[in-house]
Amino acid sequence: MPKLSSHLKILATAVIGGLALAGCGNTDSADGEATGEPQSGGTLTYASGDAEPDCLDPHYGGNYPQGLIATQYLETLFTKDEDGETIPWLADTSEVSDDGLTHTISVTDGITFHDGTPLTSEAIKANIEHLQDPETASSTGFLAVEKVEEIEIVDELTADLHLSAPDNALEESLSMHWTAIQSPEALDRDVQENCADPVGTGPFMVDSWEREQQINLVRNDDYVLPVESDRENAQAYLEGITWRMIPEAATRYAALQSGEVDVIDNAQPDTIQSAEDANIGHLDAPRPGASNRLELNSSQAPFDDAAVREAFMRSVDVDGGIEALYFDTAPRSHSLLSSVEPLGYSDDSLFSQDVEQANELLDEAGWTERDDDDVRMKDGERLEIVMPVSTNQSVPAEQSLFEQFQAQASEVGFDMQINLLDLSSWYAELSEHNYDLVSAPYTKVGPSVLRILYHSDSIEPAPSGYFANNAQVDIPELDETLVQAEETTDEDERAELYEQAQQTVLEGYYVLPLYDQQNHFLYSAEVQNMGETSAIAAPEYYNVWLDQ
Amino acid sequence: MRMASWLARRVGAAAFLLWVVATVIFIAIRMIPGDPAEAIMGGPGSQASAEALETAREQYHLNEPILVQYVLYLGQLITGDLGTSYAQQRPVAQIMAEMLPATLQLTLISLAIAWLIAFLMAAIAARSSRLGQAMGTVIEVVAAAVPHFWLGAMLIIIFSTWLGWLPAVDTGTVQGIILPALTLAIPLAGFLAQLMRDSLVTAMSSPFALAARARGASEGQVFFRHGFRHAALPALNLTGWAVATSISGAVVVEEVFARPGLGRSLLGAVLSRDMPMVTGIALFSALIYMVVMLLVEAVEAIINPAAARGHDV
Repeated sequence: MPKLSSHLKILATAVIGGLALAGCGNTDSADGEATGEPQSGGTLTYASGDAEPDCLDPHYGGNYPQGLIATQYLETLFTKDEDGETIPWLADTSEVSDDGLTHTISVTDGITFHDGTPLTSEAIKANIEHLQDPETASSTGFLAVEKVEEIEIVDELTADLHLSAPDNALEESLSMHWTAIQSPEALDRDVQENCADPVGTGPFMVDSWEREQQINLVRNDDYVLPVESDRENAQAYLEGITWRMIPEAATRYAALQSGEVDVIDNAQPDTIQSAEDANIGHLDAPRPGASNRLELNSSQAPFDDAAVREAFMRSVDVDGGIEALYFDTAPRSHSLLSSVEPLGYSDDSLFSQDVEQANELLDEAGWTERDDDDVRMKDGERLEIVMPVSTNQSVPAEQSLFEQFQAQASEVGFDMQINLLDLSSWYAELSEHNYDLVSAPYTKVGPSVLRILYHSDSIEPAPSGYFANNAQVDIPELDETLVQAEETTDEDERAELYEQAQQTVLEGYYVLPLYDQQNHFLYSAEVQNMGETSAIAAPEYYNVWLDQ
Repeated sequence: MRMASWLARRVGAAAFLLWVVATVIFIAIRMIPGDPAEAIMGGPGSQASAEALETAREQYHLNEPILVQYVLYLGQLITGDLGTSYAQQRPVAQIMAEMLPATLQLTLISLAIAWLIAFLMAAIAARSSRLGQAMGTVIEVVAAAVPHFWLGAMLIIIFSTWLGWLPAVDTGTVQGIILPALTLAIPLAGFLAQLMRDSLVTAMSSPFALAARARGASEGQVFFRHGFRHAALPALNLTGWAVATSISGAVVVEEVFARPGLGRSLLGAVLSRDMPMVTGIALFSALIYMVVMLLVEAVEAIINPAAARGHDV
C-alpha cells in the first residue's frame, strides 16, 4: 500500500510499538501486524477510562483525554518521525531567522477543513490567537505558544511568527494536539458550539456527542493526506469510531473480553498480564515529556539537605517494587525524560538501593536521635515526610509502590505519610506547599519540558496557585543552561546543554525516576494495524481496519 | 377544606426545608478549599492566566461580598435558574434534564424489582419452617449489606464475562439495564424483605387472620387480603427513604456500568469542583425526596385516615 509508505511517521511508531511489545513478551496475534489485505468498513468502539472531556476542542483547557480523541479529527502543523525528529505535517515548509526570533511557516496547499474552509496561513494566525485569548481558557496550548508575540500573514499560505525570545521548541510544541489547527470560521462560533463540534482536517470528523454516553466520529471521505506522494484515495478504512467512557477498569476490561468494545485505554498491569493469555493485543505507548518520578521538595526541611534526599532514595527498592507490582509492563527509568525523548539522559548508578549508606548519610546529617517509634530526630524535630497522592493520577499499582517505599523508608528512620486525595485537593496541597515528596506527571513533546519543571521561574505559582517545579530546584547556573538550551539554533549544542541540565538535577538527588508515564492500550483480535501514534503518543486509527 | 390546609402546610414545610438545604449547600461549598475561578477556567491544576481568572470572577460574581452572593444565589434559585456548569459551560438545568430520564428509569425499575424480590422473599420466609426463616434472615441481611460497587462487579463477572448473557456496559438496550437495576435492587430488597417479613408473620398469626381462617377463607386469601396489605404499609412508609437510597446508589451504579445519569454527573461535578452542578443535583435530590414523602403521606392518609390523624390503628 502506497498509503502506508507515505505515512512514514506512522510506520515508524508502529515499529517502536512493536519493539516495546517484544520487550513485554507480548506475542499474541494482535501485535499491530496486519494479517491480510486491509478491509474498509465497520465502526470501531473505543472505551476510555478517563473522565469525559468537557470540551472536544483541545485548545480549551488542554488535558490528555482531549488530546487522545482530538488526534482522530484534528491535525497539527508538525509531527514526529521514527527517530523522534520533528517533521512538518500540515505545515509544508518552516524556516527560522538567524536571530531565532522569526519562524516562517507555510501550510500545505490543497487541504480543506471539514466545513469546506480551505487551509491557509490565516488558520495559523487564527489558531494561535485563539490559544492566547483568555476566553478560550487554554492552559497547555497557551504555554506552548507563550513566546509568540505576533503573527504576520506573508501570503495565502505563509505566515511569520514573531517571538519575544528564541524558542527552538516551537515546532515540537506545535506537534502537540493541544495546539492543533482548526477551521478559523469554526473558531468564530461561541465556546459551547466549538466544544461540541470542533472542525479540523483529520481523517475522522465529530458527528454527534451524547453526553456521558458516547462521542460518534465518522470518516472524512474528503480526507487529504498532507504528505505529497499519495494524497488521493487517502480515506481511513474505518467508517467511524464510537468513543465511549467506561470509568471502571474492571467493567472496561469485561466489555473488551465480551466483544462489546474493540479497544480500551488505561489498561492496568494485572489486566495487561491476563490479556496475554487471552487473544488480546497490547500497545505500549509511553507518553513524551517527563518520566513518572518522585520529586523531593528541596525548599523545606528535611529535604533541603541533599544528603537526606539521597538517604531517602537509597532506602527504597524501586526495582523490586516495580517488578512485583507491574509484572514487567513498566521498565525502570533512570531519566528525567520519557524513553521516547531522544535527548533523555540516564544515570543508573545514582539510584541503587543501599540501606547501610542511607543510614550513614542520615547519621552524618545529624539525624541521630530516635523517638519511641524509632523515627529519627534532630534538634527535637522528627524526620517526617508527607506525600500527597492523587488517586486520579496514581493507579492502584503505583499507590502500592508508594506504600512499599513508606515501609522501606521507615526502616532507616523516616516517618513517611501518604495522603490519598482527589485531584482538586491534591493540587490544593501542592499550592500550599504541604508536601515533601510528590509524583506529578507532565506531558509535553520535547526536552524543553525540563525548563518548565526545573527552572526557578516555575517555583513562582501561576495565578491559580499551580507551579510545575515541584522539587523547587533553584540553581542559577541551571536556569541559564535551560534558557540557553531553548534559545540555541545549534542542534549539538542543544543536546549538550540539555544533558548538562539533566546531570545537574539527577546528581543533586532532587528527583527519583520510576518509569515512563504509562499509556497502555488493549485491543481485540479483530483490530488490525494498531500501533500508530501521534506526537503525544495517542493512538491513531487512520490505518486501522477491522478483520470482520 | 381540611385537605387543602393540610396540603398548604405540607408544601410550606417542604419549601422551608428546601431553603434550609439550599443554604447548607451554599455554606458547604464555600468551605471547600480551592478557587472556584480555577474550576471555571479548566479545572484542577489549570494554569489559567490572571486575566482569565479575573474574567471568570467577574462573570460569576465571585468578587462580591458573601452575603450579596447568597442573595444572588437565592434569587436565582427562586426564579428556577440553576446557573451554568463551570465545566461544561451549559445551563445546569439543561444538563440535568438530559440526564434525568436515565436515572429515573434506572431508579424506578430498581424499585419495582426490589419490591418484587422483597415480596417473594417475605412470602416464602413467612410460610417456611424455623430453619427456612433463619436462612431467609441471613440472605436478607447479606443482601442488605453488600456494597453496590462489589455487587456490580460480581454481576458483570458472572453474567457478562463468564456466561456472556448480558452486556457489561449499558448501551440503552433492554438487556443493558438488567445488571445495573439488579445491582441497585438487591440491597434494597434485603431491607424491604426484613421489614415485610416481620409484619407478615405478625399479621398471619393475628386475630383477624385467625378470624378469616375461621370464616373459611383459604390460606392464599388470608395472605393477600390481610397479611400482605398489613405488611406493605411499613415498607411503603420507607419508600421515600428507598428513593433516596436509589439515587445515592445510582452514583456508584452509573459509574460501574458506564450509564449516563444524574449520579455520574454528580460524581464528576464533585471531583472537578463544578459547584453549580453539585448545587443543582443536590437540590433536585432533596426536592424529589420531599415530593415522594408527600405522596407517601397522601397515599397513607387515603388508605388509613386514622393513622394520618395521628391515632394508632
